[in-house]
Amino acid sequence: MTKQKKYWKGLSELANDPLVDKLKENEFIEEIPVDDFLGDDKNLSETSTSRRDFLKFLGFSTAAATLAACETPIIKSIPYVVKPEEITPGVANWYASTFYDGNDFANILVKTREGRPIFIKGNDLPSSSPNARVISSVLSLYDSNRLKGAMKNGESVTWSDADTDITTRLSNVEGDVVVLTNTIISPTTQAIIEEFGKKYAVKHVQYDAISVQGMLDANKESFGQRVIPTYHLDKADVIVSFGADFLGSWLSTSLEKQYIANRNPKSGKMSRHFQIETNMSLSGSNADIRIPVKPSEKLNLLENLFDTLNGNSTANDKIKDIVAELTSAKGKSLVICDSNDKAIQIMVNAINDILGNYGKTIDMGQPSLLKAGDDNAVAQLIKDMNDGKVGALIMSGVNPSYTLADAEAFNAGLKKVSLTISTALSMDETSTNVEYVCPDRHYLESWGDAKATPNQVAFIQPTIQPLFDSRQIQESLLVWSGDDTEYYTYLKNYWRSKVSWSSSLHDGIAELSADALSLSSFAANVKSVLSQAQGLELALYQSNSIGDGSQANNPWLQELPDPITRSCWDNYLTISATTARENGLSNWNISDGSLNGDMVRLTVGDVVLENIPVLIQPGQAIGTLGLALGYGRTASGKVGNGVGVNAYPLVLNNSYTSSDVKIEKVEGEHGFASVQLHHTMMGRDLIKETTLNEYLENPKSGNKPLLYDTHLGKLAPDQIDLWQAHDHETGHFWNLGINLTSCTGCNSCVVACHSENNVPVVGKEEVRKSRDMHWLRIDRYYSSDMTKEIAEEEGIGAVSKFKAMEIPSENPDVAFQPVMCQHCNHAPCETVCPVAATTHSAEGLNHMTYNRCVGTRYCANNCPYKVRRFNWFNYAENDAFDYNMNDDLGKMVLNPDVTVRARGVMEKCSMCIQMIQKTKLDAKRDGRNIVDNEAQTACSSACPTGAITFGDANNQSHSVTQMVEDDRSYQLLDHLNTKNSVFYQTKIRNRKS
Amino acid sequence: MLQLNYMFINMTKFINLSKYPFTIFSSLIILLFAVSASVSAQNIEEGEKLYKANCTACHQIDSKLIGPALRGVSDKYSEEWLIKWIKNSAEMIAAGDPDAIAIWEEYNKSPMTAFPYFSDDDVKNILAYIEQAPEKQAVVATTSVDGGAIVVEDQTSDYVILTIAIVLLLVIAGLWKIKNTLKEVAGEESEDLFSSIITLVNAFFARKSIVTLTVFIILGFGVNSAWNLMLGVGVTKGYAPEQPIAYSHKLHSGINGIDCNYCHHSARHGKSAAIPSANVCMNCHTYINEGPSGKAEIQKIYDAVGFDPEKGQYIQGYEQKPIKWVRIHNLPDHAYFNHSQHVVAGGLECQDCHGAIEEMEVVEQHAELTMGWCIDCHRQTEVKVADNDYYEEMHAKFKENHPGEAFNVEAIGGLECGKCHH
Repeated sequence: MTKQKKYWKGLSELANDPLVDKLKENEFIEEIPVDDFLGDDKNLSETSTSRRDFLKFLGFSTAAATLAACETPIIKSIPYVVKPEEITPGVANWYASTFYDGNDFANILVKTREGRPIFIKGNDLPSSSPNARVISSVLSLYDSNRLKGAMKNGESVTWSDADTDITTRLSNVEGDVVVLTNTIISPTTQAIIEEFGKKYAVKHVQYDAISVQGMLDANKESFGQRVIPTYHLDKADVIVSFGADFLGSWLSTSLEKQYIANRNPKSGKMSRHFQIETNMSLSGSNADIRIPVKPSEKLNLLENLFDTLNGNSTANDKIKDIVAELTSAKGKSLVICDSNDKAIQIMVNAINDILGNYGKTIDMGQPSLLKAGDDNAVAQLIKDMNDGKVGALIMSGVNPSYTLADAEAFNAGLKKVSLTISTALSMDETSTNVEYVCPDRHYLESWGDAKATPNQVAFIQPTIQPLFDSRQIQESLLVWSGDDTEYYTYLKNYWRSKVSWSSSLHDGIAELSADALSLSSFAANVKSVLSQAQGLELALYQSNSIGDGSQANNPWLQELPDPITRSCWDNYLTISATTARENGLSNWNISDGSLNGDMVRLTVGDVVLENIPVLIQPGQAIGTLGLALGYGRTASGKVGNGVGVNAYPLVLNNSYTSSDVKIEKVEGEHGFASVQLHHTMMGRDLIKETTLNEYLENPKSGNKPLLYDTHLGKLAPDQIDLWQAHDHETGHFWNLGINLTSCTGCNSCVVACHSENNVPVVGKEEVRKSRDMHWLRIDRYYSSDMTKEIAEEEGIGAVSKFKAMEIPSENPDVAFQPVMCQHCNHAPCETVCPVAATTHSAEGLNHMTYNRCVGTRYCANNCPYKVRRFNWFNYAENDAFDYNMNDDLGKMVLNPDVTVRARGVMEKCSMCIQMIQKTKLDAKRDGRNIVDNEAQTACSSACPTGAITFGDANNQSHSVTQMVEDDRSYQLLDHLNTKNSVFYQTKIRNRKS
Repeated sequence: MLQLNYMFINMTKFINLSKYPFTIFSSLIILLFAVSASVSAQNIEEGEKLYKANCTACHQIDSKLIGPALRGVSDKYSEEWLIKWIKNSAEMIAAGDPDAIAIWEEYNKSPMTAFPYFSDDDVKNILAYIEQAPEKQAVVATTSVDGGAIVVEDQTSDYVILTIAIVLLLVIAGLWKIKNTLKEVAGEESEDLFSSIITLVNAFFARKSIVTLTVFIILGFGVNSAWNLMLGVGVTKGYAPEQPIAYSHKLHSGINGIDCNYCHHSARHGKSAAIPSANVCMNCHTYINEGPSGKAEIQKIYDAVGFDPEKGQYIQGYEQKPIKWVRIHNLPDHAYFNHSQHVVAGGLECQDCHGAIEEMEVVEQHAELTMGWCIDCHRQTEVKVADNDYYEEMHAKFKENHPGEAFNVEAIGGLECGKCHH
């Protein structure tokens, strides 16, 4: 007997799920809103439009649209009515200016096209070169989130109404008038605040989001001056840094240039750099010897060093070498520390005093004026505000509602101040809590001056007409003081008698005759700093891209991968593999390769942060955690809002480290946007390296030439060739040399490339799918405890050997390698392109022609360097990628000489061919040869240490020629014999063994 | 292929202005030796030259410019007074001449430029010319006439084709009628038009080879014309849109001989030749407020910049309105072209690509601006290596490595994709 079988559609049907019953009756559970789009029956029956009419309309509109599409569009060309004298359409102008936002300082040159700033590079001065954040600041100018005019309680208000109201209320204010700013290094602004102060009895409070209070106070006590010193790393033979990430974001100046100046192996001498730190920082990854320690142990080692140098103790094993080297390099050494504690900094001062470094590697006479914030004054201000003693508060260059650890107290205090004014450029966390927002101008729209050291002033000049109805803070203060002088006139009058105005503006800086500060000799009571910290310890840091978070709404910076973790669009707890294992935390790759990780609840004192992702970081000291500041903005704009978590609340007692921190694994997993999923080189020699001593013995050490066995004997790869060679002797032969010893991994080149070449931002989700579009990346490799040699010695099998080689050491050596298109002269990509969209140039470049490309992606598949990027989408004018290229304002940053690529084409580094062509044309027009360093790429022009050199290898006078011919020179994956135009130079560490 | 046999602008035209001193000098010599003092045709001609060289900046014959209209000036003032006035009006005003003061007051106390180097005869010649100067002719707007002409021409050709077609149909109908009549006469059964067509079509389809051939011919034509059609997509050679101002290159560049670079100066410096800004126009049109077509077109410049030609000054607080020209030469965004590369480094003349622009009343696109057109030129044009150190070493190396080959733009990478597409 046959039995009628019954098939379930699913387990839920068997279980008699009511939803399944419902679905059986009706395919759509919710009623389809037919009426909404067909209107009610009455309307429908009364309408005179029949079905036939509808078809007629449809036909007509289709035909009309087709016909309309046939016509060539009429393009208007609208010239100036009165052309500004200095503008020639299509020709860039460069202006010298200065960047200072309280956290970074740089002398810069701004490139403008038709009155729009589009690119920033360093003004070739020894003082300071721009980092990634400074170069990216050109995009922040075009932030559509910026305020379009003055605001009162969230409503637009005219400037004159605002001024009248503010002036009247300031005159009748009860309580103090306080001006809260970042560190003011502008002498005119200082003068204007003083003038304003005379009228209203003003208190001026300076507040640094990233505080260096400890150092300032220590110097006050040690030398009688509340300043931070100027360092001369180029004169230091031994550098010992206790956690200070001086190649990253420590203090406001970049020190890479002088650091690298004393690390040139050719000179036969390199500084020895010791880094004793908790998190793996840029400085740590560049150090010759890195000692990972807990923050508390760092202090104990510091005290041990102090005692040993004083002869009161014997050196701890960890710092034995340091003590020996320091003692033998007196006056030529430097000890620095990142701590924000006065006692610790006094001890550091004492150590440097013992070593005789003052006046040699540390200059207190011409100090750096970039940080002068006073946290005690800020604390007092918040107290006064809550006590109702403050009548008016004017804020400029600060965002305390975000950057203060106890922002709640500040916000509560704000409510008790009768007149609150912010001059932020956008509705940030603080501006949303104040009555008036009188938007300041972006620095690229502003006039200004900046005195970074007493003997030098730098000038800020506008490079674009103000985009919005904004007003410089200086001018606002002048207006409120009843002074109707324009700030420009004020500035000019102030400086005209002191410097040559026009030439100083042109140069960007002017020297001032300033006597060195009078200092008392070191005299301070050195107290013990020994620490008895317990449990897990946390060290907060500034990420290389986001910094203090003021530019969090800048998509270039958000998508700039951290040089160490290689992740972007996030902050996370960095943790060592051991500590992660102890706490049951892990990271893993999901099926598409992207990195996921566990999340934790983080408890620091009374502060609890939920759902913080954990990233396993080789080199992180065991028992410690790291977390980047600057994330978790809530009112930065569409890009930066809600990216990561805000770590400022963890800055307890002005200290960036905490102990007895608790983590607790919570449900869920977090997806990281990581652009490099492998950690080690797996035994390949992508980065060739050696030590200084070996190099001095044999300049070719670490750079063993590769030879193949052939029937003609052993031959170098370039002697075995299937292909016909190009004629590279005639004309130019553009080569790029990258000195891996000088590369600190600072990311400036990556963001400069982004800016110059209209590289799109793709967002976190796309980065996770490995669809990031960076033309230039900086690969970071860790060393592993397992090497081929060890495996051979110990007889470890291939499988377990390679598995072990994948795992980086607990405290690995780190090496950075910028990788862009290698411009192979036997390019694997060129031979597989079915439409000849990628072709070779006689000048040694591999061209990519977007308009020919049909998107087969064969080239990317065949590229051994993985430098080709495919446009999976239109990244411009696409709401799915709502970044700068999706709004008219943001598009103003685009370089008009470079195509904005469309969907479905491949793109890659062009070696900035538009810049090469311009250089060539300039020379042709002048009828001369191209001189050395005239030809530049965006990356080479941005490199603060000169690690990237570009030029014509057919011209003996070009420095790249020497680089290419140097003993240290090699090509990436040279066994492939692709004959690259990009050369690397072996990395040299200054180590004994 | 690039046509090089365009009309060169005679370079001497560019330096017309600098030639004037010589003209004046030579005319003075002629006048010195002139036997007759009476006003001859020769003197009117001299007067015209002097007038155009010296007076037109401020005067017109029939209308007020910066100075008064000059027609009938000899009737108003005596010749002796005029000679004194033209040579040095300020002196007369200072001396308190009532007529002189009256004019001075009338024209906002702006003195007339003195011409002390004029001889009495020069002034007389000028006055003679003014008296006999031709009346201005009514000028019809040239552009609309030209545009209209083209339309009419098109219609004519259509009519011709239509007429021929009708005639041919009539002939066919007539012949068929005759054939039928003849058949009737011969006593055969006459067939109607429809059935005879059917017979013909059947005969055609009965022969497969003919059908195949026809299909192939039609297909061939079809493919060919489709190919040509597609090649022509986006090619706008001959595009000559109507511009917001009926600006004539023929008048400015051709007749008046103004150097192209005067207005399009950025062609020598940057990638864009750039349409000149209105302030460049005003360099001349501050004074010249009337052209052959009247005042209307020049007034459009004044409307843009805010200039009052009556008072001869700019209007304070005027909201300037940019002139929205229609762009004629449109390269796609993915193609990079640099004018200064071609004009300065390459030493090309504007006309090489833009045609005889100095003869164009309305500018039209002369070249196809297709990639084929670009690279044809790059293949054929030799690099101008003379006196340019940039090419010296490169050229020497090229001759060594590629003996006998031409050092043309292709040889220095002028066909490489990335040079223009980046």
